[in-house]
Amino acid sequence: MTNHFIDYKNSDVVMVIGANPAENHPQAMKWILRGKAERGTKLIVVDPRFTKTAAHADIYAPIRPGTDIAFLLGIINYALEHNLYFHDYVVNYTNASFLVDPNFKFEDGLFSGATTKDGQFVYDPTTWQYQKDKDGKIKRDPTLQDPNCVFQVLKRFVSRYDIKTVCRVTGTPEDVYRQVCELYCSTGRPDKAGNIVYAMGITQHTYGSQNVRAVAILQLLLGNIGIAGGGINAQRGESNVQGSTDMAMLYHLLPGYLSCPDATRHPTLKDYLEKETPKTSFWSNTPKFLISQLKAWFGAKATPENEFCYQWLPKLDGKEHSHMAIFQSMAEGKIKGFFAWGQNPAVGGPAAEPTRKAMEKLDWLVVVDLFETETAAFWRRPGADPRKIKTEVFFLPAAFSYEKEGTVSNSGRWIQYRWKAVDPPGDAKSDLWIVDRLFKAVREEYRKGGRFPEPILNMVWDYDAPGSEEPDINKVALEINGYEVDTGKPLPGFAKLTNTGSTACGCWIYAGYWYPDPDLGVVAAKRRDRTDKTGLGLYPKWSFAWPANRRIVYNRCSCDPSGRPWDPARALVYWDGSKWVTFDVPDFGAKDLATGAEIPPEKSAQNPFIMVPEGVGRLFGAQYGPRAAALKDGPLPEHYEPIESPVRNLMSKQQNNPLAKIYQGEGAARGKPEKYPYILTTHRLVEHYQSGAVTRNSPWLTELMPEMFVGISPRLAAKLGIKPGDRVVVLTARGKVYGRASVLPTLQPLKVDGKEVEVVALPWHWGYQGMAPGDSANVVTALFGDPNTFIPEYKALLCDVRKA
Amino acid sequence: MPKAVLVDLTKCIGCRSCMVACKQWNDLPAERQGFVNDWATPRDTTAETWTVVKYYIEDKGGRVVWRFVKRQCMHCVDPACVKACFAGALRKTPEGPVIQDPSRCIACLYCFNACPFQVPRYRTGGEGPVIMQKCRFCFDPGGIYDRVGQGQAPACVRACPGGALKFGEREALIKEAKERIAQNPGRYVNQVYGESEFGGTSWLYLSDVPFEELGFPSAARPAMLSLLTWTPLAAGLWLAAKEA
Ligand code: SF4
Ligand code: SF4
Repeated sequence: MTNHFIDYKNSDVVMVIGANPAENHPQAMKWILRGKAERGTKLIVVDPRFTKTAAHADIYAPIRPGTDIAFLLGIINYALEHNLYFHDYVVNYTNASFLVDPNFKFEDGLFSGATTKDGQFVYDPTTWQYQKDKDGKIKRDPTLQDPNCVFQVLKRFVSRYDIKTVCRVTGTPEDVYRQVCELYCSTGRPDKAGNIVYAMGITQHTYGSQNVRAVAILQLLLGNIGIAGGGINAQRGESNVQGSTDMAMLYHLLPGYLSCPDATRHPTLKDYLEKETPKTSFWSNTPKFLISQLKAWFGAKATPENEFCYQWLPKLDGKEHSHMAIFQSMAEGKIKGFFAWGQNPAVGGPAAEPTRKAMEKLDWLVVVDLFETETAAFWRRPGADPRKIKTEVFFLPAAFSYEKEGTVSNSGRWIQYRWKAVDPPGDAKSDLWIVDRLFKAVREEYRKGGRFPEPILNMVWDYDAPGSEEPDINKVALEINGYEVDTGKPLPGFAKLTNTGSTACGCWIYAGYWYPDPDLGVVAAKRRDRTDKTGLGLYPKWSFAWPANRRIVYNRCSCDPSGRPWDPARALVYWDGSKWVTFDVPDFGAKDLATGAEIPPEKSAQNPFIMVPEGVGRLFGAQYGPRAAALKDGPLPEHYEPIESPVRNLMSKQQNNPLAKIYQGEGAARGKPEKYPYILTTHRLVEHYQSGAVTRNSPWLTELMPEMFVGISPRLAAKLGIKPGDRVVVLTARGKVYGRASVLPTLQPLKVDGKEVEVVALPWHWGYQGMAPGDSANVVTALFGDPNTFIPEYKALLCDVRKA
Repeated sequence: MPKAVLVDLTKCIGCRSCMVACKQWNDLPAERQGFVNDWATPRDTTAETWTVVKYYIEDKGGRVVWRFVKRQCMHCVDPACVKACFAGALRKTPEGPVIQDPSRCIACLYCFNACPFQVPRYRTGGEGPVIMQKCRFCFDPGGIYDRVGQGQAPACVRACPGGALKFGEREALIKEAKERIAQNPGRYVNQVYGESEFGGTSWLYLSDVPFEELGFPSAARPAMLSLLTWTPLAAGLWLAAKEA
């Protein structure tokens, strides 16, 4: 999130698109309701289902699953056509005035540069660049009139998304859609704040990244980034999924969002730093971040002479290793062992049955969890023959959240310490205990020999707490926070990091979270001070928000170039004529680090988006050096149909995202609308959590939500002769699942290009284990992915439904 | 000063945390009532489920309205159940809660029949005698389930993330409810349910949907079977049965 949960109360308009906070983030919903009660916040809910969140909406806009880009681009078009965008913000703080290569084109649903490589469709992004003058500076037209400036390019691009066309695509009634456009665009003013809240409904598509880009473009045009009550607020699906992303659970990253080294592109540290360090933006400090990380991991062994042990890092082989790719490799027998650690892919991953089957190819499987999950029990699942499955399965009982201590990073980037309430039962251990013992056992094996033992034998691993079974979590936290190598003293923040090896830091964005607060006498992550001077809910001394305890990122954008707040009632920082007054930690150079002198606003007005090489928000995702905004599938979001769709693409003859990733095997089978006429979408419920591994083992929660069901509209039920509670079967090209029919007016057919389209909704919490077993919705989902993130397309597929 | 809870139905998000918190605090077992079409299982209060959130889903000519209505014992100001109970198992406390003494309950069903909200339920099955059980407003003087007597809000109120439940003094909450109505024209129906209905209740409700539509009994109708208030005849019969 750019902002944080409490900040929702500061919004004038909240648009929830592809999220259902009332069920999946009740604590976030509380702040939306607070805003409604205290300042009359208006709530727009865009969802194919009338959700519990929609129950509180001022405007509920039904939308066909998978058409968010059309929906959002239509609002962008409306803002541009009616001059409702925030002109001064757009001119000064976005790349609207930047000139784009005149050869950049968009024709027939494809961007310029379409070509093939090794038989695959790819884009050559050469034309997705800015024009530069002879000194290499980007050419600009602050009048926004040049036909090649980003503003005009964008305007032309979205002009096809008029209300009529959008509604033919999305199925949203025109009058409702017009109200959404009017209400949301009313926030394009200095004294108004609009907040877009999203979750998996936006991301889980074969163009999920472009969906997010569309959200970003709209928010930039309306001047809603960097201000209280605004922002792009992605609600993460688990309490600490933000923390695990920060710690690089994704294969292409190192902790702190540093790129993972690539064997071909970065054979040496020098190559890595040259190619991955942008010349401008805060990322120009990349060498400090990486070298300090190497010092944290390899200690005294890491020296300038040996590239700080860079060669000991694992490197990417140019292949994809995301979730779906891992299971494809597993199915091909290329993966011998697998740790499912707090993860239940047999229920939670797409195409569940091929996933379960793939695990049959493993020699061993270790499951670390609270209960014997479907993944742990895959070898005796219904329909499997245990005698034929050779995989050796180990189960390590893990402590629950409240049975261990440590930090949890929420969606708003607040790293909050959580103390242990009770001891774990029986043999259950904390994850730290398990990983500590595991590492030591592996190291023991390497001491006896093995290939490439150096990284393991030389890894800094000294977390023992004398006299205690449990490793010392303070030592781990200090390493993540960073410390001076000579003294071992914690670093107050990442500004102190060096590229010489004098500092060590496991995750640069966390620097400062373990630094003692001088007033409160505890480390920052343990702070619980409720002081809120501004009344904006910033609570600067409650825990620690990365980066640098900043609550609202890009907050320079909350004032005009001369430092006057756009909206004095929502001021986060402002220039009082001689110095900066800061309620939030400034996200720009406010003071000269060396001299302490105030830096006047004109300077920071040049690059209010300090993490971005251009220094400004990117309406057009240009190909511009490392950390460019260009996605693999284009510099602007364009509507394509989901891989399985009941209709032709009305926007171009390009039916699907040409770069959509389609995997192999039965899990990637594509269904046709003739056979599978209804749209299938998946969702969660408040009573269960993810794959239900814990909640379906909790009697009080299974009591509330005991059985798998299939949501269908009253109209479809009538057509198929299905009564509420009937057992029905949902079929897709991948398989079938059974459940009880839930027939409610919360689902209604949509009119898409004159044709009625039905949506069938499946909650995905069930599996064959636990107190309340039931069919897993993911048996019928597919191995279709986004080309940038490889997230599966869980939200828009095709199915058939019958009475079972 | 009698305590009360103000339920603002316009703020309820249907998260059902209150239901779980109630079971957790009161050590109540889970039941298995099975699937219901509108997801709101368990549908109704039982001897082991003292509070439920009922769903009201209506298609009002293309506009769907979905409301979540927490129900439990209303802790009436002048409770019919207490009047009906000749075994002396129920009493109205000065603090507001209507609480029961299970050791005195003889499972006569009188309170169930007297209650205008059909709240009292009887534990059948399981061990021990058949007794009436219902919400006790987390008031258990001297017992392990006490919260209100210790100056704490009931468990459900404590758990509510939506801000739908507010615990306080009855008089103050009625005042606040009226202020909310006055300050938000058009947001609520002009009624604080429980202020005077059935002689007044300790659980008070605000809503934007008329209360009758949400299944609240209208005070205009006579309370069901209120005739079955304790009579000497009935008492004699029951006492005889007990002694036999
Ligand atoms: S709601 Fe029913 S059980 Fe509760 S106090 Fe009133 S009459 Fe008694
Ligand atoms: S806890 Fe509060 S918001 Fe949740 S269902 Fe109960 S009353 Fe409603």
